[in-house]
Amino acid sequence: MLMLSEIRRFRLVDDQNQTVRIADLSVDLLNGEYPPIKQVLFWNDDRKFVGLDWKNSNLIDLRKKEIRTTNLKEAKEFPDDSLTREVLLVRDVLDALILDLQNRRVTRANDLWLEKRDEQIVLSHADISTAAILRRLSFNLWRRIDRKNLFDWKFVEFLRGDPNAVRNGAGYHLRITKLAPGEIAGFIDLIPYLHAAELIVLLPDKLAADVLELTSSDKQLQIFEELDDEQSRKMFALLAPETGAKIIKQLKEDEAQKALENLPKDCAAKILELLRFPEGTVGSVMTNDVVTLPLDLTVDEARQFLTEPLKNPNFVYFIYVVETGVSRVLRGVISLRRIVTAEPTDKVADIMDEFVSVLSPMGEARAASFRLIDSHLAAMPVVDETNKLLGVLTIDAAVSNVAPRNWRDQAPRVFS
Amino acid sequence: MKESLNETLEKVPLPHVKQIGRKAMHLQIRGRDLWLYGMPRQPQGIFRWLWVLGPGLVAASAGNDAGGIATYSSAGAKFGYELLWVMLLITVSLAVVQEMCARLGAATGRGLLDLIRERFGLNWGIFAISIILIANGGLIISEFVGIGAALELFGISRYVSVPLAAAVVWYLVVFGSYAQVEKIFLLMTLVFLAYPVAAIMAKPVWGEVAMGFVPKIHTDTVYVTMLVGLIGTTITPYMQLFQQSSTVEKGTARKHYGDERIDAYAGSIFSNLMSMSMIIATAATLHVIGKTEIESASDAAKALEPVAGATARIIFGIGLFGASMLAAAVLPLATAYAVSETFGFPKGVNLDFRRASIFFRLFTGLIVLGAGVALIPSVPVIKLLFFVQILNGALLPIVLLFILLLVNDARLMRDLKNTKLYNILGWATFALVTTAVMGMFGLQIYGLLTGK
Repeated sequence: MLMLSEIRRFRLVDDQNQTVRIADLSVDLLNGEYPPIKQVLFWNDDRKFVGLDWKNSNLIDLRKKEIRTTNLKEAKEFPDDSLTREVLLVRDVLDALILDLQNRRVTRANDLWLEKRDEQIVLSHADISTAAILRRLSFNLWRRIDRKNLFDWKFVEFLRGDPNAVRNGAGYHLRITKLAPGEIAGFIDLIPYLHAAELIVLLPDKLAADVLELTSSDKQLQIFEELDDEQSRKMFALLAPETGAKIIKQLKEDEAQKALENLPKDCAAKILELLRFPEGTVGSVMTNDVVTLPLDLTVDEARQFLTEPLKNPNFVYFIYVVETGVSRVLRGVISLRRIVTAEPTDKVADIMDEFVSVLSPMGEARAASFRLIDSHLAAMPVVDETNKLLGVLTIDAAVSNVAPRNWRDQAPRVFS
Repeated sequence: MKESLNETLEKVPLPHVKQIGRKAMHLQIRGRDLWLYGMPRQPQGIFRWLWVLGPGLVAASAGNDAGGIATYSSAGAKFGYELLWVMLLITVSLAVVQEMCARLGAATGRGLLDLIRERFGLNWGIFAISIILIANGGLIISEFVGIGAALELFGISRYVSVPLAAAVVWYLVVFGSYAQVEKIFLLMTLVFLAYPVAAIMAKPVWGEVAMGFVPKIHTDTVYVTMLVGLIGTTITPYMQLFQQSSTVEKGTARKHYGDERIDAYAGSIFSNLMSMSMIIATAATLHVIGKTEIESASDAAKALEPVAGATARIIFGIGLFGASMLAAAVLPLATAYAVSETFGFPKGVNLDFRRASIFFRLFTGLIVLGAGVALIPSVPVIKLLFFVQILNGALLPIVLLFILLLVNDARLMRDLKNTKLYNILGWATFALVTTAVMGMFGLQIYGLLTGK
């Protein structure tokens, strides 16, 4: 294995024995799990940044500390637009923040390891050890290698710290998409906001929305401000209305107005409903993305009816039974499990629980949260004076609401 | 589309204004008037301006620490009002430097050491962090010495005050959120208002004070040393580190950067007005009676008593206590941020020991070290401060150079890149600081060679 810090000190020597100092190496990030070196880059005599295909430079002499190549004059200028797209190991990866997916942590690449695989030199490991720092500071006099802190590149996600890179077509492995949304959100809270926005932009929309739901509110706002109008509309449409409302609340008046105007109709309506309730009331912390079921259905009909509505809302533990979909007057509640286990011919009205504890939207949020926690229920419906269902206060929102302020973002979300 | 939205909105009963007891925000969405009670109202008038204060005011005020108070008091005692004009120049320089750091933080979401390591490489990062660790370590000790000395003016033993102060600072940062910590830091800056009170109580001749703003340049070494000392104590690297890291932690994004600029300017102006008050207070009392030698801030407070009364001593002492407390919290925090940024450790007051263990361990270690060493009776504070000043002096031009290079990097800064005016002011500050530092080193060498 070769270290990038070592190769940087090598000379590039051609057949005419002309030599230059290596400035950087570009890699093909999307070519397999271990990106192969594409070009070796250096400054030519005209002070231009030029690149030579690595396949012409494959003889590495460790003793002489040089890499043999055919002809340095064959090097082509590295265009400016390539500089924004290409990944250069020294400029972009060495010393940069990387996401270690195996150990779920954010760290710095103190050195990079290259090795020969299938006739190619590939980026194989990121060295995050203190030994790597000492090695570099001591010009490789310090030779100790700490293999425990050598991370396989196939478990590393590299971000450029620029959300525009995704829009400009930069490639990513997207290994991070294999993690759970909560784990990705854990990364987001530890990385700078531009890296976080880049990560959100590159994730598939649904996963990005799930991750945003679990991200701390400061970061949510910063990320949203980096999204373009189209992405922002898409995200708002996928987020739970209460999360959307939380983001809108942090905006200035004119920005809030603009954001609400741009939102899809249904999404705007749901967020606006929540924004009508003053801070500290039940209405301000409830979710209004609730699945309801008309009273007059059988269980079989109910199962068919629920197929579509159950696809989107975040809270699906309880299904609320209302007189009609238009009036939304609350008549009872039924758990999803009961609908699955009941006989198909049973009437919903017969198997639902009619004695439902309800909350008022203008009630105090903290008191209501304690009431819900004490009741050991997953949620309580919120109704107006005519018993019309406005939303539900979930146990997740209740716990977050009573937690100390700096723990709120860490409160677990189990039911929503 | 509009009708459909309105229909949906009609389903929600409008909460009654009187019942809620607060104003709603009025928005017109798709042609319909809506009153949203859940939208927080933006502060208006004076509160609008107070609302934006944060890292800028805290960072600049923390620069008026125990060592700073000693330098300003000494400048007033030794040269009267003659150096006030320098403070005007330094205010502009400080405001420019602090603003650039706030802008870097907002534009990149990264701290200064983060960017130095990534853009200029490991060697520069390690060089900077090594000096920061030693220099800030020394300063932290001096802040706890300042706390002990300030409370001894009121008869409280340092063996009680220093551990207690250390525990309070530690608890605040470890168990508080960034927003809470920032609010408490902002409240602590109010203590600095003791200095304008002390200046007024000293009954200066205001005409003479005004004349102090007319530049007078001397060539004697004592004057030049003091001038250099004023620059060095007013613009110190930890202020830039804290400014940038706390702007990042506050969550300021590039689109909301405008407010941070006001904060950085206001902080620099406020902190230097306080410094000028210290100069005026000691110039009007100590300089006029010929007491020109002041070694520490507590010396200044004690010396004020026979001239301006016990109240002046008490006010000066309160100021010293508040200033030292603020710096004793800001310095370990700035250092822990810097180390974590250099090595990529998770960092932030908003995190906890579990998620940012190295950051909090470092913070704890620095507090324990500072408070512990400050309790050793024979600790040579003056010599320590002198050594720290040299280290900070060596680091400052390098840090400024990095800031200027970074803030001109279009790829990094995009639309927040330095303007021409900023570059002129920035490079002028760099030249001023570098000249001052070179002057300081020159004087030290001259002193060593001549034995003066």
